[in-house]
Amino acid sequence: MPFLSHGSYRVRYELDGPAGAPAYVLVNGLTQYSELWGAYREALLARGFRVATFDLLGQGASDKPTLFISQDDQVAALGLLIGELGNGPIFLSGISFGGLIALRYAIAHGERLSGLVPMSCFAELTPQLLLLGNALRTGLILGGTSYLQDLLLPMNLSDQWLKPLLDKLDSVKRQGWLVNDVYALQNLMESFLDFQPLTPRLSAISVPTMILNGEFDFLTPRALHDTLRVEIPDSSLVIIPKAYHAFTLEKGALTADLLARFAEEVLAGRWQGNQAVWVAPDQPGGELTPFPAGYDHLRAIPVKRALP
Amino acid sequence: MSDFLGPVEPDGRIPPYQQTRVAAFLISAHGALARQFAFTLPARLDAAWQTELNAQFYREAEIVSLLLRATSWGLDLSLGYMVASWETAWAPAPIDGIADPHLNQAVHLATLAHAVHAGIRPAALLPLEANAQDPFVMALRRIEFESGRLLQAQILFLKGTDLAQHRDAVSAALEQRHAGVRKLWRELLESIGIGAPAA
Repeated sequence: MPFLSHGSYRVRYELDGPAGAPAYVLVNGLTQYSELWGAYREALLARGFRVATFDLLGQGASDKPTLFISQDDQVAALGLLIGELGNGPIFLSGISFGGLIALRYAIAHGERLSGLVPMSCFAELTPQLLLLGNALRTGLILGGTSYLQDLLLPMNLSDQWLKPLLDKLDSVKRQGWLVNDVYALQNLMESFLDFQPLTPRLSAISVPTMILNGEFDFLTPRALHDTLRVEIPDSSLVIIPKAYHAFTLEKGALTADLLARFAEEVLAGRWQGNQAVWVAPDQPGGELTPFPAGYDHLRAIPVKRALP
Repeated sequence: MSDFLGPVEPDGRIPPYQQTRVAAFLISAHGALARQFAFTLPARLDAAWQTELNAQFYREAEIVSLLLRATSWGLDLSLGYMVASWETAWAPAPIDGIADPHLNQAVHLATLAHAVHAGIRPAALLPLEANAQDPFVMALRRIEFESGRLLQAQILFLKGTDLAQHRDAVSAALEQRHAGVRKLWRELLESIGIGAPAA
């Protein structure tokens, strides 16, 4: 298990695939760990990519600072990993908290990236997100990691995914419960206490950017992703049908296919962001379709877009 | 070496020699915290925050009491030496960079409690096949859950504004305390065949 050193802390990472190949760097969500990208590793390796994953500080097998974890340190740790990848094309993707860290990296070091894929992501804490985050933190404090998982599972995954697992949820939660410590998760959550919105800085991201948002994501709903689309010049927003916040877990094959296709289009010079809004296919390999013209993609019912 | 306690006995119980060592370590650590909170607790409370001291003292004492009763004890001749080394480790250690002796003592106690409550996860040692109805198994789960709650007082104090000017000293002391407690815990686990604790 290789590690990088960030000051006195160790950051555990995994790197597979041929040196010199285009690389995908995948950044975990808050309660995740590197192994959860296993299906992506296989799918992207098969498409000729190099794949790098890691545990953020406070997660999994990386060191867990005892009192404070700053988001700047997470960005620095990500930078160390990207520094291991040489000079080839690098595509950076992250989900939720990891998407935020990816955004911060892209704002500061965009010149090192060939493409960016924020997923279930946000650049600011709206009142709803702030209060949800506070409630989840209180849940962690009062009920531990297991209770936080109990809250997140039904919020972030569909009935179709949950139904066959209802009688074995303990085993679904177990690995995440084993590798996550209450104080470390709390430190990760409390890294938002001094959070400043990234929105005013998003326009500094000049690399091709594909924003992925689950159709039914109510933790980080459409409007938060649309802020990214509006502010990042060379971006597109892709809505994943029938998906919730944790669609990377639920729709791994589809998401990995979208990641690969995005990178292939960028590398072939075919990518055009145009701040467009698309609907992803239901299955890997299917066609993306433009969001119906004239309708408001921020609404959950078909409402004609108001004319400017 | 395994990641978990066991192999469990046919009825799902943890082997007594493992119960004995794990319980002895936890009694030593939580007992030390109970004693140190007892010395800090005034006979009559004159500030609101001291109510938390009262809670911490009784919760630590409860953990010790629980382990004394829930553990299937076995004869372990090595325990005497091990307990002596643990007890030495819990002793107050001066915190570099904090001159006020009262604050120094408070930071020592908070860092030790943080390291024990956050760094030791006994329930994470339980294998899937452990009998959930066994008192020792339930005790480990209760202790880990209760530790997460007790930890909040240490987090509030150590991250609080009272210690803002000593942040570097506090962080360094806490990292050091965590490393020390984890080393003892790891050595204990290795002595009963557990090589890669999850926590």
